[in-house]
Amino acid sequence: MNYALEVEKLSFAYRKQLVLKEISFFIEKGQFISIIGPNGSGKSTLLKNLSNVYNPESGFIKIYSKDIKKYRTKELAKNISLVPQDTTISYDFTVFDVVLMGRFPYLDRFKKENEEDFKIVTEALKKTNTFHLRNRNINEISGGERQRVIIARALAQESEIIFLDEPTSHLDINHQIDLLNLLKQLNEEKGTTIILVIHDINLACRYSDKIILMDKGEIVSKGTPIEVVTRKNIEKAYGLNVIVEQNPYTDSLYIVPLSLNSGIDQNKKKDKKIHVIAGGGTSGEILSKLEEKGYDISVGVVNVGDSDWQLAKKLSLDIVDERPFSAISEESFKKNMESIEKSDVVILSSIPYGEGNLKNLEAAYNGLKMEKKVYLVNNYTKYDKFDYTEGEGLKILESMKKDGLIIINSIDQFTKEG
Amino acid sequence: MIFKRLKNKYATIIIILSILLIFCIGLFATIGTANIKVADTFKIIFSRFPYIGDMVDISGVSDSYKTIILNIRLPRVLLGVLVGASLASAGTAFQGMFKNPMADPYVIGISSGAALGASIAIISGIEINFLGIPSISFFAFLGSIITVFTVYFISKVKGKVPSTTLLLSGIALGQFFTAIMSFLMVLYTKDMEKIIFWTLGSFSGKGWEPLIRITIPTIISIVFLNFFARDLNIILTGEESARSLGVEVEKVKIYILILSSFMTSMVVSVSGIIGFVGLIIPHIVRLIVGPDHRILLPASALVGGIFMIFTDTIARTIISPTEIPVGIITALFGGPFFIYLLRKKKREI
Repeated sequence: MNYALEVEKLSFAYRKQLVLKEISFFIEKGQFISIIGPNGSGKSTLLKNLSNVYNPESGFIKIYSKDIKKYRTKELAKNISLVPQDTTISYDFTVFDVVLMGRFPYLDRFKKENEEDFKIVTEALKKTNTFHLRNRNINEISGGERQRVIIARALAQESEIIFLDEPTSHLDINHQIDLLNLLKQLNEEKGTTIILVIHDINLACRYSDKIILMDKGEIVSKGTPIEVVTRKNIEKAYGLNVIVEQNPYTDSLYIVPLSLNSGIDQNKKKDKKIHVIAGGGTSGEILSKLEEKGYDISVGVVNVGDSDWQLAKKLSLDIVDERPFSAISEESFKKNMESIEKSDVVILSSIPYGEGNLKNLEAAYNGLKMEKKVYLVNNYTKYDKFDYTEGEGLKILESMKKDGLIIINSIDQFTKEG
Repeated sequence: MIFKRLKNKYATIIIILSILLIFCIGLFATIGTANIKVADTFKIIFSRFPYIGDMVDISGVSDSYKTIILNIRLPRVLLGVLVGASLASAGTAFQGMFKNPMADPYVIGISSGAALGASIAIISGIEINFLGIPSISFFAFLGSIITVFTVYFISKVKGKVPSTTLLLSGIALGQFFTAIMSFLMVLYTKDMEKIIFWTLGSFSGKGWEPLIRITIPTIISIVFLNFFARDLNIILTGEESARSLGVEVEKVKIYILILSSFMTSMVVSVSGIIGFVGLIIPHIVRLIVGPDHRILLPASALVGGIFMIFTDTIARTIISPTEIPVGIITALFGGPFFIYLLRKKKREI
């Protein structure tokens, strides 16, 4: 196979503490790879091992099928280059001089740079759009420009693999996109293999062919963004509840963080079971806030494809669902009632009612009759009209009020009272 | 293109400094108690060159002047040039390698180590002739190399050599060696005078012999040091970068440590400890030519030579006929300069 990089059982220790634990993976030539993971997961350490800054404790790293230790230092520098996390240079070298340093592996100790070297450096400067900076001092230019200059130096090194350690972490959003576009361009035009450590999962999804997700010195998952960036994996690595969505504008995945696992109140609330009667996209806030507090939630009856249904799916809640754009069947109604029976509390969101979903309101009323606490989160003021059943829905709601329906204005009122 | 211009600029700097150095050699060889003209000095010097010597007319110059210039002043000035160039080169290399403006052979204790080594050689009277290097120089080298590696490993924290640990360990070790040396002086009073000379540093009364002895080793090591200019430049931009660019950082550091310790111990074994030259010169030159070691190293060597003979001239003329050890003069320049650097660094932090 055409592997640019092969890693086998790589372990690395820092003061006798294992930071990387038997890591193995392959990277094909010409791919754009992101290494992600929480702080202290070992992602930067992995990159430094791969780029020969650190020497692994055990295991193999092969660059183009040859053991990294068997390369001479200069020979290796012709194959791999590194853009370190900290690119500050506190000496007054000109941009041109810095990029010219990229030619070091090609120069004999007793030889001077020739025309060819200058040509390559000039091209690298132009490619990274830094040619106009060539006579400026490296510590006079902005952070984004300096990143580009260091990338130009990597280009002058003419290596086919470029490692970058958190290249976007000190940049503004516009410079982040600018930089990643440049890397993608190099990747696509010259077939350069790009391997970078990055914090931003959304950017990683947007630009990478493959993602390596790390936690505690081990690989949690590796593969395409779709394979790696899942609700389960992110929860495992980051301890974070997220929603993974498809970004409609860039067609890439993106995550929306909801809550930290550690932030969930583990005490009494976890065992309280809540059934939310939802539909028509009325329950987004209710579901995510209840989820955040750590309640055991079920949802019903919602139509497949409804945005409440989508959210409930992403949050992996128990769902009683009905076929899309169909009225609630007797069967779903029964299931809904079963869910209500098992719950301690029923929360009714401000659903507009028609013939198709009136059964949801009836289910809520049944709950009240079973002496469950039933709350209505009242957002009806938003509507001109919410009852499309010629008064029937309104009638049920009125009798529910008499029978002890608790009306609250927002879900926060409920969560605060507990 | 810019690189061509740059190369020309570097060449121009070297040529100007070389001419200045030659002029200073003539000038400082002339200044002194005997009333000699600069032109005569050059005439005397050139008369000794092969080929052009025949064309120089020195009939008008008195023989005593010839003797003063050729046997006393000229070797002294040339020795000064060599010592200054070596100390400045070593200082430049250390400052680049440690990425630390405070590094210099004196401050980090190498000179003390070399002086202790030399003292041991004097007292013990060991006569070994290692590769044509006399035992005093050899022991000085041994002392300096032990010092530099000890200081290096003591002050290394997580692969870096921070200013504070470097200075403290250098000073501590330097003081420690000086103490041992003082102790030896008390024990061996008959050698005391000879040893005291190491601690003060002077060029007086050396003649040609020591100069000839150290010329080739020091010049070779200065030239070799210049071959590491590109590596030093890259190390300045960060050691991670340097490794990924193919610089064998640890190896290069060890080569530079050995070369610098070697040239320092060579000159210290002849002139004694002369402080601060390796500290001041690289700074001043860096301010003028920038951080590129390809120009910084040779320019520092030349300016170091000029500075050394300038201070030596002050040393032997300021309260003439009494001579002050030149180490005192350099310390008078260097002390305040060192404090200025510390203040400046503090402000940066």
